[in-house]
Amino acid sequence: MATEARILPFARPAPRGILWSLFLTLPIFLWSLLMMGFRPGAKFDPVSSIAAILTALFMTVLFFMMMRTGSTYRWRRIFFVSLGVLFPIGFIYNLVLARGTMGIPIEEMIAGRTPFCFMPIPMLILPAAFTKTVAFPGSIASTSHGIAAMVGLWLALTLVMGKGWCSYACFFGGIEEGVAAIPPRAKIRKLDPRLRFVPWAVLLAMVLLSLALFEPAYCMWLCPFKAVTEYVAARNLLGLVQNVIFILLFAGLVIVLPFLTKKRTQCSWFCPFGAFQSIFNKFSIFEMKIDQSRCHPCLLCQNACPNLSLSKESIARGETLLSCMKCGACVDACPRHAMVWHIKGTQIAWKPERARLMFLYGAWALAIMFGGTIIAGSLATILHFIV
Amino acid sequence: MALFASCGEALVLGLASGPACIAACGPVLVPSLLAERAGLRPHVRYLSAFLAARLLGYMLFAVVAWELGALASMLPAPRLLMMGAVYVLLAGVLLWYAYSTRSSCSSSCADSKLVQIGENRNRGVAGAAALGLLTGLNLCPPFIAAGIRAAQLGSMAAALLFFVAFFLGTSLWFVPFISLGCIARNQAVLTVARMAMALIALYYLSMGIAMLLGKKSYGY
Repeated sequence: MATEARILPFARPAPRGILWSLFLTLPIFLWSLLMMGFRPGAKFDPVSSIAAILTALFMTVLFFMMMRTGSTYRWRRIFFVSLGVLFPIGFIYNLVLARGTMGIPIEEMIAGRTPFCFMPIPMLILPAAFTKTVAFPGSIASTSHGIAAMVGLWLALTLVMGKGWCSYACFFGGIEEGVAAIPPRAKIRKLDPRLRFVPWAVLLAMVLLSLALFEPAYCMWLCPFKAVTEYVAARNLLGLVQNVIFILLFAGLVIVLPFLTKKRTQCSWFCPFGAFQSIFNKFSIFEMKIDQSRCHPCLLCQNACPNLSLSKESIARGETLLSCMKCGACVDACPRHAMVWHIKGTQIAWKPERARLMFLYGAWALAIMFGGTIIAGSLATILHFIV
Repeated sequence: MALFASCGEALVLGLASGPACIAACGPVLVPSLLAERAGLRPHVRYLSAFLAARLLGYMLFAVVAWELGALASMLPAPRLLMMGAVYVLLAGVLLWYAYSTRSSCSSSCADSKLVQIGENRNRGVAGAAALGLLTGLNLCPPFIAAGIRAAQLGSMAAALLFFVAFFLGTSLWFVPFISLGCIARNQAVLTVARMAMALIALYYLSMGIAMLLGKKSYGY
């Protein structure tokens, strides 16, 4: 009885007023319009305009709800799952339009006509340092400057947000987050904590192999998301094996395991880019902290964390593990508001809502810039088919 | 005079191509060193065994290269077979190494607060030697360049000397690996190193089998 009494929730802060929430949302609304291309002199076809307006409103309304309700995770999840579902649609459509197929033949790779993805960034660093050459034969523009711009932008945002990138910008994580949201309860609850080390091992192995073989080893053999983006244009048995590996990894890590565990298993147990991003949590000024004067370890935060970034030991230390993606699930789940957003260098629980706001402005701006434009593009694709 | 010139040439070739050598050996060397105990001395011992065995691999190759003259290994089919066999053997040794590291940890971690990871010295030296020998036989581009030059020399002794000088040149680049001994060891580092070894082993195994079957590395 005494234990039950101790974990009774503290009173939840009253929701913000509508006008104040609208005022806080205004910068995001303007940013949405700018990112969707609404600037003086811009020309749109009607379908693309509708898609852009819908996306700008979608992102603005979600941010407004975050401001109004004080909760982060469920609103962010709506955006993130939408991104995860819509990204492959737009991507595949563009691939088929440009190339006539989803398969990449080696000639296209050598010619650098492969869309650039952020996943191989850690694998580019050592080959670039040793040889001054980018090992990934792709581009986002017609020249390699596209890659430099992408890496530079990623670095700037990552230094500020740390692993927040994985919750607000990655267009792959939404698929598994959506699958994990389907079952009401996890079927598998006991998870081996050593699995948390696998992404680091994949990162180490892939960085070293990429340098040795001068190729993005992860993209060649292990990326689960090849299954929904661009597969190997198989010309022999090995090509078939590569595609089978991609499909099995996707089915296992992005569909089956998230459904059984209600966790983002690909992110938690496999993704080398996620492990690399974790390092930047050391530099980011934003983090999650536990106000230990309020915490009576009920482990609701640990259960809510989609990324296995909380353990009993870390909760006892009053912090998350290095792999925290700053999605806000733990903060929303804590009945005593002991888990808080925090800015390094300040006292714990010193104006946590202000820390949350500062983080969310940056994170949502990033979400609109990457995810929002992808959503708008995919919506336009769908609308073009319908209209 | 010609001997000195060829030795100098080999030394310069080794120094110039050292980065390519450490890139080729990195996937084998880095995780296996991380699975060792912390400290510079264990790393010096490990690296010495690795490099000594690598020199032996070079010598073996020099003898074969000179004896065959035309460098049989340069022909596409035998070269593919040799690389395939080396990759499969490397995979086997890496898997064994990853497994034996677990054994040594479970015996040392179970009953003592003074956790000493990778206590089994014999495993360390034997594993380093096996990995060094196999990477010494690995046909990376600088190694092939050295092999071609050695095959053009007038005698087997000259070919051997050429490879010794080449080895010295490349080995200087391996010295910084000793600094991995400064990284503190805990269960996380050991587990990551073992998992990485297993993953790299699987990678080599798949490439090795493909090469033995006469396939190219990729199916594009």
